[in-house]
Amino acid sequence: MSQADLAVGGHTPAMEPSPFAIPAKKLAMWLFIISDIMTFAACLVAYGFLRNATPDWPRPFHSSTVISVMVMTFILVSSSLTILLGVRAAKTDDRPTAFRWTFITVAGGVIFVLLHIRDWAGMIGQGVTLFKNPWGTSLFGAAYFSVTGLELLHVIAGLIALIIVGLGYRRCRYSSDDIENCGLFWQFINIVWMFVVPLVYLLNVAN
Amino acid sequence: MSAAEKPSGLGKYLIIYLCMMAIPALEVVIAYQNIAGSQKLLGMLSLAIIEALLVVLFFMHLAAEKRSFVLFVAVFTLFVLATINYGWTDSFRLLVGAPFAK
Repeated sequence: MSQADLAVGGHTPAMEPSPFAIPAKKLAMWLFIISDIMTFAACLVAYGFLRNATPDWPRPFHSSTVISVMVMTFILVSSSLTILLGVRAAKTDDRPTAFRWTFITVAGGVIFVLLHIRDWAGMIGQGVTLFKNPWGTSLFGAAYFSVTGLELLHVIAGLIALIIVGLGYRRCRYSSDDIENCGLFWQFINIVWMFVVPLVYLLNVAN
Repeated sequence: MSAAEKPSGLGKYLIIYLCMMAIPALEVVIAYQNIAGSQKLLGMLSLAIIEALLVVLFFMHLAAEKRSFVLFVAVFTLFVLATINYGWTDSFRLLVGAPFAK
C-alpha cells in the first residue's frame, strides 16, 4: 500500500518513526562513518602490526617534515571549525554565510591536499616507492603510502562533496541537512588525521 | 544538531578548537622526549583519543543527540575497534621469532 493510498480520506500517512529521532540521511552518514572507522582502524592496525614486528623500521622524518605536518594539522583543525560555522549558519537558513564558510573549508582542504602531495613528492625524491626505499625495510613505502593515501583520498572525496553540496545549497537544490551531513564527514576526516599523525609521522621522527 | 536546536554561543567551540590545536603540539613534545617508544605511543594515542572525543561529542554534536543513538554509535565503534585489535599479540610473536600456535 502506497503512502498516497494511506493519505486518502484526510488521514495522515502512516509513517514509521525515524530511528533514534534523526533524519534518515543523517543516520546513513553516521552508519557510513562507522563503517569507514572499520576501514581506517584495519589500515592503522595493520600499519602498527608491521611497525611493531619490524625491528629496523625506518625513521625518516626530520623536523622539516614535522613542521609541514603540523601546518597541515593546523589547516585541517581550522577547517573543522569553519565547516562547523557553515553548518550553524545553514541551520539558521543564512545561505550566503553558510556558503562562505563551506568554501573557506574547501580552500583549507585544497591547501591540505597540496601540502600532502608536496610531502609525498619529498618522500619520492628520497627514493621511497611502494616496494623499495633507501633504508632497507621494503614494507615501509607500501605502509606509508597506503595509510596516508587513504586519508588523502578521503580528503579529496570530502572536498568534491563540499563543492557539489555547497554550490547546490546556494541554488536551493540542497538543504541544511545536506550541509550538515558533509560537515559530519569532514569532521571524521579530521579525526582520522589525528591518529595518522602520531602513528605514521611522530613515532618515526629521526633522532 | 537537530533542526529545532538553536545554535548556542561560539565560546564553547572556540575553547574546544584551542584544545584541538594544543593536543598536536603536545604530541610533538612527546615525540622529542627521550622515553621508550611504548610510552610515546601510549601518550600520543591517549591525546588522539581525547581529541577524537572532543570532535565527536561537540563538533559532530553527538552529545546533543538522543542517548539511545549515542549508545548505538559507541557500542558499534568500540566493538569494531576492540575486535580489530585482537591481532596485536601476533606482531610481538613475530618480533621475538616465537613460533605460531599450532
